[in-house]
Amino acid sequence: MTFLQAMLLAVLQGVSELFPVSSLGHTVLVPALLHWRIDRSDPTFLAFVVVLHLGTATALVVFYWSDWVRIGRALAASVARGNFSADRDEKTGWLLVAGTIPLALVGVFLEKPVRQIFGSPELVSLFLIANAFVMFAGERLRRAAREPGGKATRSLWALSLSDGAKVGLAQAAALLPGISRSGASIVAGLLEGLSHEDAARFSFLLATPAIGAASVLEIPELFAPGANVVLVQSLLGGVLAGVTAYASVAFLTRYFHTNDLRPFGWYCLIFGTVCFLLALTKVIA
Amino acid sequence: MKALAIILAVIFLALSAVYLIPHGPLGHHYKHAALFFVLAVLSLVWLRFQPGGASAPSRR
Repeated sequence: MTFLQAMLLAVLQGVSELFPVSSLGHTVLVPALLHWRIDRSDPTFLAFVVVLHLGTATALVVFYWSDWVRIGRALAASVARGNFSADRDEKTGWLLVAGTIPLALVGVFLEKPVRQIFGSPELVSLFLIANAFVMFAGERLRRAAREPGGKATRSLWALSLSDGAKVGLAQAAALLPGISRSGASIVAGLLEGLSHEDAARFSFLLATPAIGAASVLEIPELFAPGANVVLVQSLLGGVLAGVTAYASVAFLTRYFHTNDLRPFGWYCLIFGTVCFLLALTKVIA
Repeated sequence: MKALAIILAVIFLALSAVYLIPHGPLGHHYKHAALFFVLAVLSLVWLRFQPGGASAPSRR
C-alpha cells in the first residue's frame, strides 16, 4: 500500500463510516475499482485499519464530548442510587447500553465468519443495493406512519429499553459488507417513531461504543507478528480519518434536521449496480 | 430476579475466565473474555436495581 493509497483509504473510512453508505463495502469496492493490490488479510493492512477506526472513534467522542460527560454522570448516579429516574441523559445512557449489548454479542461471535463468506465484490455490490432498498423502505414506512391514524413521532427518551435494543440489533446487519451500520440503525430508529434528527443522533452515539470498543480490542493487531506499522503513515491516516469523520458527523447532524435518507439510497443503488455489473464482467475482481 | 442476576454474573465471570485461559476448552479469545466480563458487570448492575438488591438504598 502506497502513501497516497493509505491517505485515500483514511478519507474514505472517515467519510463512509458515518454516512449511511457502508464503510466496509466502500473499502472493498473502491480499491477493487482502482485496481489496488491490497491484501486485506495482511497484518500491516489490518493494523492500519485499527488506527483508522481509532481515529474515527476519537472524532465521535470529541464531537459528542459534552453529551458523553452528561450521560456518564447520569448513568453513574443511576447505578449509585440503584433505580431509574426521569432524567433524559440517564435514559439516553441506558438506551445506549441496551442498544450496544446485542451488537456486541452478534459482532464478537459472527463478525469474522460472516465477513470471510461475504467479502467478494459481487456480493458486496448486491448488499449495497439491498442497503438502498432498506433506506427507501424505511422512508416509505416512516411516511406511512406519519399519516393520520399512524404512529406519532416520539422523542429519544420516550423509547423503552427494548426499543433501544432493537435499534442496536439492527446495526448487526452491517456485519454484511455493503449494509451500512448507521443506515440500518437510523431506519430502525425511524420505525420506532423517532425523527430523522433523533434517529441520526442515537445512531452516532451508538457508533461510539461500537467503533471504539471494536478498535480498542483490535489494538493487539498493531503488534501482531508481520505487522510493519509505518508510524508516519498510520498517524497521518488516523488523524485524517478522524478529521473527515468529525466533518461528516457535523454535516450529517445538520443534514438530518430537514432531510431524509433517500439521496443516500439512490447513491447506494447506482454505485452498487455499477460495481455489480463491473464485477460480473470481471472488470473488477 | 436477584438470584437470576447473581447466577448470570457468576456464569459470565466464569466464561470470561475460561476464554482467557491459553489452550483452554473454548480457546483463547480475549474479545470473548472482555464481552463476558462486561456482561457480568451489567448483571451486577441489574442486581443493584432489584428491590433491596446489592445494598441498594430504598426506592423513593
